Amino acid sequence: MSHYLFVQSQDGFTETRTAQQFQLAGQLQEAGHNVSLVLVQNGVTQARAGARTEHFDRLLAQGVRVIADEFSLRQREIGADDLKPDIAVGDVDVIIDALLAKHKVIWN
Amino acid sequence: MNDKKILTFAFMDPPFESERTITFFRLLDAALEKGAHVRVFAYEGAVALAFAKQQTHGNAVHGRDNAAENHPLTKDWILALQKKAASKALGFEWINCGLCVDERGVNEVVDGCGRGGPPDLWRYASEAHNTLTIGTR
Repeated sequence: MSHYLFVQSQDGFTETRTAQQFQLAGQLQEAGHNVSLVLVQNGVTQARAGARTEHFDRLLAQGVRVIADEFSLRQREIGADDLKPDIAVGDVDVIIDALLAKHKVIWN
Repeated sequence: MNDKKILTFAFMDPPFESERTITFFRLLDAALEKGAHVRVFAYEGAVALAFAKQQTHGNAVHGRDNAAENHPLTKDWILALQKKAASKALGFEWINCGLCVDERGVNEVVDGCGRGGPPDLWRYASEAHNTLTIGTR
């Protein structure tokens, strides 16, 4: 089993390629790997409760660990209470932790 | 360089244009906070991040002079990170792609930033504990 951490800066509303990015993350999870997603920049917008994001929501349903960058949320005036269930709020240091743990870190 | 882990970052975004630049610098800062040596290979527009002739400016539309506007400059962020690394006895290396520098005429860089090429990225990645490549898309 490998550990994958996807840094998701792109959002599904303006970047159609996110569908494939989320599919890849989901397939890795299905294959038994440990997959996490850190939402940064506009990537956090799809974490809002009520946001219609089919592919992203599928990852949440699969149990992929999702962390939204607090700084990016604050820039967009999105609070922790505004998020979909099962999304944690964190900082970019989780990305550094993953790099130091030799996880595979991929920027999207 | 001590036995702390080396993290390498490859970055290609120019200053003053993309939110990725902010995230990139936050990651460098976080890496130092976590006690890692940092190595950066800057290419394409990112070579201008260290350009020494960057200047602050006022904002006449908002009635702010140079001091009040306090415009952030990426060259100053690099210098601040160098200082932070030194205070923690950590390495902070920065190499600009020479061809990218020549194309843009940004040869004058702040102290501590060097000039190189793809073999340096290979060396950085080979020697690093881990590498993160931040693409433009």
